[in-house]
Amino acid sequence: MLGDARKAQEIFETTLREAAQRAAHGELPKEPFWLFREARWRCLEASKTSLEAEPLELDQHDLTPQASSQIEQLEPTQLAIWISGAPEPQRTALALFYLDEFDYREILDLTELKPGELSRLLALGRRQFQAWLNTRISDKPAL
Amino acid sequence: MNTQRLSRRQRALLNCAPISEERIRDRSMRSALFRASNSNEFANQRSFDRAVASLVGAIPIPPETAEWFSKKELIATPGRTWKKTARNPAALAIGIAVVVIAGVFVFQLLGRLNDFPGSATARKLLTIAGSTRSVLLDPVNADAGTLSDLFFMKHGLEHYDVPEEFADFPTIGCRVFDDDESRRIAQIWVTEKRMQFFLFPAERDVKTGAVLGFPGWRYVHQEGWVGAVTEHNGVCFMAALRGGERDLAPYIFKSKE
Repeated sequence: MLGDARKAQEIFETTLREAAQRAAHGELPKEPFWLFREARWRCLEASKTSLEAEPLELDQHDLTPQASSQIEQLEPTQLAIWISGAPEPQRTALALFYLDEFDYREILDLTELKPGELSRLLALGRRQFQAWLNTRISDKPAL
Repeated sequence: MNTQRLSRRQRALLNCAPISEERIRDRSMRSALFRASNSNEFANQRSFDRAVASLVGAIPIPPETAEWFSKKELIATPGRTWKKTARNPAALAIGIAVVVIAGVFVFQLLGRLNDFPGSATARKLLTIAGSTRSVLLDPVNADAGTLSDLFFMKHGLEHYDVPEEFADFPTIGCRVFDDDESRRIAQIWVTEKRMQFFLFPAERDVKTGAVLGFPGWRYVHQEGWVGAVTEHNGVCFMAALRGGERDLAPYIFKSKE
């Protein structure tokens, strides 16, 4: 979400600390995923204050059967940086979707997006990431 | 089958298709997945998503963060406050039940504190006093104190004496009857405040037969009636009237003086 491990760590700790305090006072909200919603808003707040990349019109490409082998050649941090560079709310949608912890209804609830929007943002993200992969990694298998 | 033949809604759903099978929770998603199961386009998407998710899973968690999850109790559950416990329906029901039981217990205890030998009989006689009409009694025109001779001569009742504080009251009538335990009861109706007097045998110890006496006057209450009871020579005397202790107290107080 942030592309900055130190900031992410701070937000994670602050969110959990506040959750612990609220739990101690018996003030935990009853709504599901409030902790994730809280963490998301903190990330958005933090990214407002930091420098953001200029919004660019990224290239797009259809997904290829070789995509999975291209992805396997990536470092996890490369992916994390790519996702953190995406504009909101695409960034949240991609982050929550690829965490593989929520179904699409839960992501809709968390991001307050409409189903059509979520679908469009995910499809766009895939096509952009594929285009980025194509420029970075050769899709020919290494000999 | 390819994704071209899917509806726009199904296509939108497929874009959000969960990476793990266990997250497929609704029928419409399952149906869209089934229709797209043979599509190459969707197969590419699935393998792409799985590869990305696997890479996300490989993102290293800093040791400082991992430490949080190693703690046994990440978020301590708060201890139940008294307010919360009191609002719990089960606790509330138990509380009410305890209060009711305590109330009944206290009520019975207070009742027992005022008990004395013969109080049960006195209460029964107060009920009789409430239901008696003066016509049921034999008309007598004499002072209450003089009736002890009548009770002795006519009914063989010894020591059925009216105490001196009530002896001067003129009577309307009197009678002698047996109660449900075959005890001889003398009833006198006087003009003063439509008061009624009862004379009845004092309670005795079951084993020894000794009279269970008590000093002074004791009050009993029943159905809006009040009775002042005293025991003398194995016979209880009760002055009864409709009202409270305040109505009878002046007569008793006078006698003490």
